[in-house]
Order: sequence, then structure tokens, then C-alpha cells
Amino acid sequence: MLKIDNLHVSIEGKKIIKGLSLTINKGEVHALMGPNGSGKSTLSYVLSGKEGYEIDEGTIEYNGKNLLDLDVDERANSGLFLAFQYPMEIPGVQTSFFLKTAINSKRKFLGLPEVDALEFAKLIRSHAEDLGISSEMLKRDLNVNYSGGEKKKQEILQMSILKPDMAILDETDSGLDIDALRIVSEGVNKLRSEKNSFLVITHYQRLLNYIKPDFVHIIADGRIVKSGDFSLALELEEKGYEDLSKIAS
Amino acid sequence: MSTAVKLDTSDNISNQDKKVLLNNPFENFKIENYKYAQLHKNITSDVSLEYHEIDLSSISSLKKLKLTDAVDIDLLSDLNKWNYNNTDSFFRVNSISERSSIKIDLDFFEEEVLYLDLSLFKENIQLNKVNELQKTLIINNSNFSDHIPRSIILNLSENSNLNIIHYCISNSKSFLYFEINQQNNSKLKFITFQSNNIHTRNEFFSSLEENCSLDLYGLNIHNHGVNDNYSFIQHMKPSSQSREVFKSIVDNGAVTNFQGKIYVDSVAQKTDGYQMSRSLILDNDSKANNKPELEIYADDVKCSHGSTVSKLNQDQVYYFKSRGIEEEQALKILQKAFLVETLEAIKNSQIKEYSYNLLEMRL
Repeated sequence: MLKIDNLHVSIEGKKIIKGLSLTINKGEVHALMGPNGSGKSTLSYVLSGKEGYEIDEGTIEYNGKNLLDLDVDERANSGLFLAFQYPMEIPGVQTSFFLKTAINSKRKFLGLPEVDALEFAKLIRSHAEDLGISSEMLKRDLNVNYSGGEKKKQEILQMSILKPDMAILDETDSGLDIDALRIVSEGVNKLRSEKNSFLVITHYQRLLNYIKPDFVHIIADGRIVKSGDFSLALELEEKGYEDLSKIAS
Repeated sequence: MSTAVKLDTSDNISNQDKKVLLNNPFENFKIENYKYAQLHKNITSDVSLEYHEIDLSSISSLKKLKLTDAVDIDLLSDLNKWNYNNTDSFFRVNSISERSSIKIDLDFFEEEVLYLDLSLFKENIQLNKVNELQKTLIINNSNFSDHIPRSIILNLSENSNLNIIHYCISNSKSFLYFEINQQNNSKLKFITFQSNNIHTRNEFFSSLEENCSLDLYGLNIHNHGVNDNYSFIQHMKPSSQSREVFKSIVDNGAVTNFQGKIYVDSVAQKTDGYQMSRSLILDNDSKANNKPELEIYADDVKCSHGSTVSKLNQDQVYYFKSRGIEEEQALKILQKAFLVETLEAIKNSQIKEYSYNLLEMRL
């Protein structure tokens, strides 16, 4: 589904990702762990297509297509979703309007008619209830005056209704209390199937107790330095990142 | 450009007014209140403005005001009496010297919505409202090419209540002076919608007595040339409230100006004044000048002002695109989101809907 090969990325001349390769197949959940500044968020932005990142070398293939040829919205409509670490606040745009516009954009891309108002209301209600998002909240401006936890739930709500093939969660667990962490994880697990893949970026093993990954990768200094299964996350929790930096250098 | 003023030695013009005329912004670009309006230049544009038709067929209870609805004509002497410290307005004096004036009583009509199409009038217009019953007045100021300023005087009697929406669209030149006199306990909501203009200036001179409320909202989008708004809100008695919000989206190399002063007289205790001007600049050729001013002589008041000039937040655009929304649509939604606060102030639901549709067309 997603094949990253020898990726090198720099921002304003500064090299951030230095030869990263990673393959994620259909139905797999991969966790990416690593210290601050190791290139985790840069990787997520590069995958979603944010401007300002220079691809110096390497390829990214997504469902047989060259991902780097696609614009941000085309990537999204092709089934790629990034749950942001810091979701943007959009004053003046009602949350439910934003959700509807996003759904209709995908439907337009797929050649389908706009979503029926009643159908939309049902869809939102069922997913919002699961995540503990009230209908009053859907009427508020998107992410404006939301708490950190509410913003993360909103990201998961968007993911749930857009049903991406490949979802990247960028530190979705940061700033969440235990209850929110459980609710958000349930949202992810609900979408999990043989057809969907996930790349879960996190600092802590805690999230991985809820979202059990098939593979765990450690990133340090812009490269994956170690890959393994869930036990690697446990090892990391115990020993910290310091040992791993040694491997990287 | 030559001045609009051909000052004759008519006795109708006071010495004070003569003095104001010497400070002619059409000749002298250094006059503080007109500094950015560029009246001394003949501002033109390569774009040919499409004629803007205001179609109000969707509004159910509507009265179109005509010259025959005027109760009085030629109020020149009257106009000269309205002289409360607003000699700062060259436009006021200029329009009085150049045009005759008519008076219309807004309470005379049964319809809920009154429609004043300025293209039907050559005169200055004085509008009076006495009744508490809420009415909406639409002022259509579109498709003008007239460098002689005109005056619209609004007198709101005690306890009266009025909503105004001013459409200022597709003007190659339009210079307006609004004078608003609010007596005790009167309420006014004034929304001005400005788009596709080449050279405009709208002046809002307002005077509030006791316990009044004034909401003045401006929406300014996709103009060409120079578009200028000037407001001067005077709190002359205690316990009145003024709220002013001007939002501009500037592109096409246009210049948009907002200059606004809140004046609080020494007796106007418990005044609550608020002023916010915000501009969004979409390209590198366009400009926004914002100049908020407060002049306060009372010691128990609440007054605040703010001003921002910014570009569209590209991270917001990216966020939309990351959810599959095309850039063009994202830009429209974000521009609309920036402006809607001003249209939300419209009370009449049919006019609100009409204004929203107009905005959609102008985005």
C-alpha cells in the first residue's frame, strides 16, 4: 500500500530525513517511535504533501502511484489521512459544515453525488456519539476553544467518516487523559480492518497498549534504526532512547 | 483632478464652512482625515465594472422610495444647522454646496423594508425615524461614477429603532457622507457591503445621546483602486454603546483604508465603545491601512479597539486540503469565514440570505 524507499528530506537546506525506508502493507498497523527531532512529524507532513519540504532523494509509492506527484487534496481523496498533532483552529467555519464539505469533496473525487442531508446527519451522529462529541459541539467553529482532547477527538471523527485506506496518527496521544486515550483508541480500532493500514507515531508505549501494532520501528536522526514487533516498544519504554541513538550514530 | 467644489459666494455658507473648503482634499493630499483616500488622484482601473443589479424580488414587504415620497425639498438652511463639531468633513460641506436636499420620513410607510436607490436621486437626503417599530432600510449605492460627494443624514428620534444595509457595489467613483444623529434610547444597526469598486470613500459621522446603541459593520471585498472608510463616533451623553467592526479582503493591487475615531465627551460616563478593523491581503501588490483612534474625556468608560492586517493562513489552507477539499474552495470558505461576522448582524432574514448570496457571488 505504502512504500517509502531511501527517502531524504530537507527543510531550508537542513537535512531532516536521511535515507528512510518503510513498507506498509494492507491491513497492517505500524508504530513509529523516536525521540524529539528525529523526523517523525516531518515524515507525516511529507506523506500528506505539506509545502516547504524538499525531497532530495528517494521515492514514495502509494497504491502503485507516485505519491509525490499528487497534490495534498488528491492524496487525501485517494485515501490518505493525517491526524494532526496540532489541529488547526478555523474561526468562522462550523465543524459540521467542514465535515460535510470534506465528505462531499471525496464523493466528488469518486464521481458520486453530494451526500444527502439526512444521511449525513445520521453518519455524523453515530460516529460523534461513539467519541463522546456532542451535537452542540458540532455547531461550534472547528477546533476553536476546543480543549486538547476535544481537538484530537475531532481528528478521529474526521478519520472515521472519511474512512481512509492509510491513516497516519501523529502523536494523537499527546495531551490526552486516560479516558480520552481509550475513546480515541477505540475510534481507531473500529476502523481497523484487512483493508486499512495505520502508521501510528508516538513517544510512548501507552497508546500501543490500546492500539496493538503489528510492527514497531524506531526512528533516530532521520532513519529507521531498528524494527521489530510490540516487544520493541516495551524494551524502549524500559531503556529509553539513549541506547538507540548509539546505534544510529 | 479638478475639485468638485465650485464655491460661489452664496450667503448660505457660513464662514466656518468656507474655512473647511480651503482645506480641500481634492487638492491637498496632506489633510489628516483624507490622507489615504487619494482624492487628489484620478483613480482608474483596467477592469470594466459589470453593472450591478440589486434584485429584491425575494423580499416580501418592500417599499421603493421615490422623489415623490419626500416631504420637503431644499433643506439647505436646515443642513447648515447640523453642525456639531463635524467640520472635519469636507464631504459634508461640499455636498451641501453642490446639491439640493430632500427629507423623507421613514415612519410614513407601512412596509417593513424600505428601499432607497440612490441612482434615483440627485439630492442630499435627510431621513427621519421617530417610531419604535423596527424597520430595515436598504440603501443601494451602486454603479456610480460621480465625484461630487453626497450627504445622507439620519435622524433617529428618542426610542426609535432602525436597521440599515448599504450596498456599495461596482462604483467607479462614489463619495458618501453619512451623518447619524441618535437621540436618547435609539438603536441603529448599520451594515455596509462594499465590493468591486474603483474609487470610493464612505464617511460615517455619528453622534449618540443617552442610552443609545450603534452597531456599524463593514464588509469590503475584491475592490480595485482605492476604497476608504472613515468613521467618527461621538458619545455625547452617558451610557451609550457603539460597536464597530470593519473587515476587508484586499487583492487586485487595491488599497483599502479604515480610519475610525471614537470620541467620548467628558459628560458621557458609562460609555461602552468597541472598534475592530481587520484586513486580509491576498496578494503582494495590495495594501491595507488601518488607523484606529480613541479620544476620551470621561473617566468611567469602557473603550477598546483593535486592528490587524494579515495574509491568509496557509496552514489553514493546508488543513482543508489535507481533508480533500480543493484549494480554490478552501480559499473561498476561509474568506467567507473571515467576513461573515458582519453579515450575521443583519436582522431581516430575507435580506440576510440575499446578502449571503451576494457574498458567494463576489468571493
